[in-house]
Amino acid sequence: MTVAPSLSNGAVDAASISVAADRPELSFGKRGPSPAERARSVLLRLLGLTVSIVLVLFIVGPLVWLAIGAFAKTWNAPSLLPQAWTLSWWKIVFAQPELGHSFWLSLRFAVSATALATVICLPAAYAIGRRRFPGRRVVLIGLFATNAFPKMGLFTSIATLFYSLNLMGTGLGVVIIQLLGTIVTMVWLPAAAFASVSPSMLDAARDAGAGPVRTFARITLPQAIPGIAVALILAFLACFDEAQGTYLIGSPTYITMPTQMYTLVDNYPAPAAAVFAIVLTIPSILLLLLVRRHILGGHLAEGFQIK
Amino acid sequence: MTTPLNQTSISDRSVLDRPTVVDRSGTAGRTAKRVGAGWLMVSPPVMVVIVFVGIPIVTGILYTLGYTGGPNGIATLLSTSVLQNNGSPTFDVFSKVFADRLFRSDLWVTVLVTVVTVVVVTAISWVIALYARLSGSRWGRFITGIAIVPLFIPVVIGAYSIRNFYLSTGFWGSAGSLLGFHLSPLSYHTSGVIVAQIWTSLPFAVLLISSGVAAVPDALIHAARDAGASMSRAVWSVMVPMATVPTVIVATFTGVGVLGSFTVPFMVGPASPTMLGVQMVTTYNTYQQPQDAQAMAVVLFALAILIGWAYVWANARQARSSAVM
Repeated sequence: MTVAPSLSNGAVDAASISVAADRPELSFGKRGPSPAERARSVLLRLLGLTVSIVLVLFIVGPLVWLAIGAFAKTWNAPSLLPQAWTLSWWKIVFAQPELGHSFWLSLRFAVSATALATVICLPAAYAIGRRRFPGRRVVLIGLFATNAFPKMGLFTSIATLFYSLNLMGTGLGVVIIQLLGTIVTMVWLPAAAFASVSPSMLDAARDAGAGPVRTFARITLPQAIPGIAVALILAFLACFDEAQGTYLIGSPTYITMPTQMYTLVDNYPAPAAAVFAIVLTIPSILLLLLVRRHILGGHLAEGFQIK
Repeated sequence: MTTPLNQTSISDRSVLDRPTVVDRSGTAGRTAKRVGAGWLMVSPPVMVVIVFVGIPIVTGILYTLGYTGGPNGIATLLSTSVLQNNGSPTFDVFSKVFADRLFRSDLWVTVLVTVVTVVVVTAISWVIALYARLSGSRWGRFITGIAIVPLFIPVVIGAYSIRNFYLSTGFWGSAGSLLGFHLSPLSYHTSGVIVAQIWTSLPFAVLLISSGVAAVPDALIHAARDAGASMSRAVWSVMVPMATVPTVIVATFTGVGVLGSFTVPFMVGPASPTMLGVQMVTTYNTYQQPQDAQAMAVVLFALAILIGWAYVWANARQARSSAVM
């Protein structure tokens, strides 16, 4: 069925709605499938399969390779699997005191920086999401300054200032560096969440006699919580995994888990480094799985497109 | 004909005017309070950005122009060589840095890696987003899910695993020799850096472009198709323009991220030529020449401004198109 271009907009809309009802999924074949079209769809499917295999190998391959390495006793190239397996590397790595020390250090820095970011950023996110005031857009874009400068260039500039402020090599300096990496996430994402709170529900709450505090606690906050949770977890992980700034500002006094990776990979046998890498990855995977649905659902994308 | 119309509009306006004026004087205080509260709430992050981004960048730029005192004093004391100006700004630091052949090759590598990564990441993300949208199948969602995996992995770990994977003793070399090819390793080579940059940049790009492509209403695509457009034409004329803004955001973030990266080139790349992120840290810490490192940072800032300009342009475009719609 074709719609003549001369039809009015309304007619086109009505027609396309009825078409959409016929075809719940948008598909390549439109009329009856001719042999040529069938061949094309087989070809497309084959292409899709090849591309997916390459993609899966490209993305997951290195991680699987690393994980296998953590259990290798002897692994001589060229072989796609180790010749002999062992669990001893796990015992060796867990017996190292540095592991526990750097883990707690990473955790302490990440929790401090995220808590600081929450206090500093969430009120701002609320103001940007729910209020209209002159200069709002300037602030929104201005905060992007933390991400607009190439990270390592910014960090060397900060290092020079930190020398003068006596913050170089201090814990506070590391927290500030990690805090900077969370600002955009902690303002933009919650702001988008606050902005998407349904206005009719706010009106209804007010009509029912709820004061501003009650409205915030009962309507605004519960609706914004998923967005805020995504922001908090992303911010925490950004801090927990931050290596380059912490390395420049904190080392050699403060060696967190990710900064330890820099030297560890060259000083330890490869399987031990693989074990260490897996341990370091576990918090990220657990936390991100918690909010995976929300991230795929568009909270992240929404936050970066807030107007 | 025009006079009565004008008269009515004038009288209308004068009727409407009086209450508005009264209203405005009534809300003036409230407006000021609203603006004040808004500014009060946004001021903490703004202050953090001014103090820890704005000031270091200004003093950093002054440092490269030869102002070695003030906030740059301590760093100057700790450095092995510093160029000082005599009152007026000098570009000698930049001449010195650019005269270094090593810096020029590092700069070239940095630009090359950034451009290739941005182009490839944007292209792959578009293919994945379109495939997931047009096929609408579970397979499409599966591929999107796979592309997001690097988001779950710390960059240090991702870079390390990629370095192992593309060694001659890694999967790359082993699979190659089992199939009878000799594949030269990508690790410790600029091509490996590009591969790792694409790997780490992909999740964000796929998330944003997928959401942009998903936001195009089915009705629009059906309308284009029913008007006789081919699928590729519908994609090009309907979906691409409607997802331009997320695409530009992706290109901007990826570009700036790659420009300022340290971990990936440090772990995967060769010792030399390397990307400027690594070279800056070496210059800062190992050679103890913060001023030279700062000059390299300023070069990176200049490159980022080009990218930032594209972002602002896209934002302006978005504001304009939403005004029309």
